[in-house]
Amino acid sequence: MADARVAVTGLGVVAPHGDDPQAMFAALMRGESALKPLFPELARPAAAATIDFDESRWFTKLQLAGVDRVSQLAVAAADFAVKDAGALDVDPERLGVFGGCGMGGATALEAAYRGGMATAGGRVPPLTIPAFMPNAPASQVAMRQRAQGPVFTYSVACSSSAVAIAEAAKAVARGEVDVAIAGGAESLIVPGVVMAWQAMQTLAAFPAGDAQAAATAVKPFAADRSGFALGEGAAFLVLESEERARARQARRYALLSGWGHSCDATHLTKPDAPGQARALRAALAMAGLRPQDVGYCNAHGTATKIGDPIERDALALVWGDAIEGLKVSSTKALHGHLLGAAGALEAVITLLALQHRQLPPNAHCAEIDPACQLNLVGAQGEAAPALAAAVSSSFAFGGSNAVLLFERA
Amino acid sequence: MSSLKELQDLIQEKYGIDPATLDPNESMRDKGFDSLAIVEFLFEIEDRFKISMPDPDPSIETLAGLAAVVDRVRAEAAASAEQQQQPAA
Repeated sequence: MADARVAVTGLGVVAPHGDDPQAMFAALMRGESALKPLFPELARPAAAATIDFDESRWFTKLQLAGVDRVSQLAVAAADFAVKDAGALDVDPERLGVFGGCGMGGATALEAAYRGGMATAGGRVPPLTIPAFMPNAPASQVAMRQRAQGPVFTYSVACSSSAVAIAEAAKAVARGEVDVAIAGGAESLIVPGVVMAWQAMQTLAAFPAGDAQAAATAVKPFAADRSGFALGEGAAFLVLESEERARARQARRYALLSGWGHSCDATHLTKPDAPGQARALRAALAMAGLRPQDVGYCNAHGTATKIGDPIERDALALVWGDAIEGLKVSSTKALHGHLLGAAGALEAVITLLALQHRQLPPNAHCAEIDPACQLNLVGAQGEAAPALAAAVSSSFAFGGSNAVLLFERA
Repeated sequence: MSSLKELQDLIQEKYGIDPATLDPNESMRDKGFDSLAIVEFLFEIEDRFKISMPDPDPSIETLAGLAAVVDRVRAEAAASAEQQQQPAA
């Protein structure tokens, strides 16, 4: 039996730009940044894209026992996605959850460290373990949606949720599940974790107390880029076979027609163009498309000095002479880097770009780095009336690369 | 002395549950206190009342049962403190 084609029939986000995917996309098209300064008590200025989340919409206070913020965001985004998909009418045993999460419940862990070690008689809340375990978000989604099939968590750093979506698509294509809820969540904007990222020398620099500079601090592919800013949030897709989606007359946002995985296997944190190129080629091959058939790439684009030129080289390796025809933007400039949830959020943005045939800008790039020569989407965003296919790239610490390729339904 | 009123106040404060809706003799589990919520609530009780609750006690099924355990622990703590204050013979 040939593998089934996989359709995206539901979208849900709890994102720095809000919880309405269409409104979020419109805000990105306008180039609105969600990055703000925070934690003024830290020695070095920090900025991040956080969420004004009202957990009482999803949980009673009693239900919140042992449920970290990262799981709360996951439950909300997955619930939006399922509602958006309409009447799924799925046997619970044929419903799976495939969730990506890089760290788990950072808020619970930080509270435990502070509470447990600040004083000699410090105590750690008893539900710290179930709150911070990285598979809690997917399990919380499963309980909420009564998903009794495979419920898995993929913790592959910045590729986590792209890997989760690809694995979900594979399960749908092979008929292992009828419907998959796939995406990811990350919420680690707490002082200890921000300090750890600062120590890693990967975060964008800006003058202390300057909110405007914080909002525009992330400059993917720009000559003056200095790194990324953290973001929190969750995004989920509902995946099912195209045949099933047609049969129940569901709206089909896009087809997930290819995905590619590879590992650099060269260095834990330094990316590798040939490794990334292998994932890009694999996605194209699965979809049966040529590079010139793909009009848009939502880049990994972390705006680090090292990472951006390597991603450019990877795209050039695969697209060759067709590279000029590929429009590229990294929307991390506006929503921050959601790490384990980045692949899912950027997948949503990519397929909305396909749906609207509008490309979100590569913001804050006044002058492109000559080492990053790409056909970047301009600061105002662009229309792409002929856009038929798009890719979303996620390249992780650890060297694991994941590429999702969407086609118009 | 009964700790019931204090526990009801704590439940109201922490979970927003009106004491009138939680019959002290009904199962707390039936009111949404699953095993995880109970564990967290016991931790909160220890923090607030500065006591050390016994390990999971099967008698803690109802709020009245929980209040009885808290009463006993407090009484034992008070007796122990009194004993320590008495001068050695």
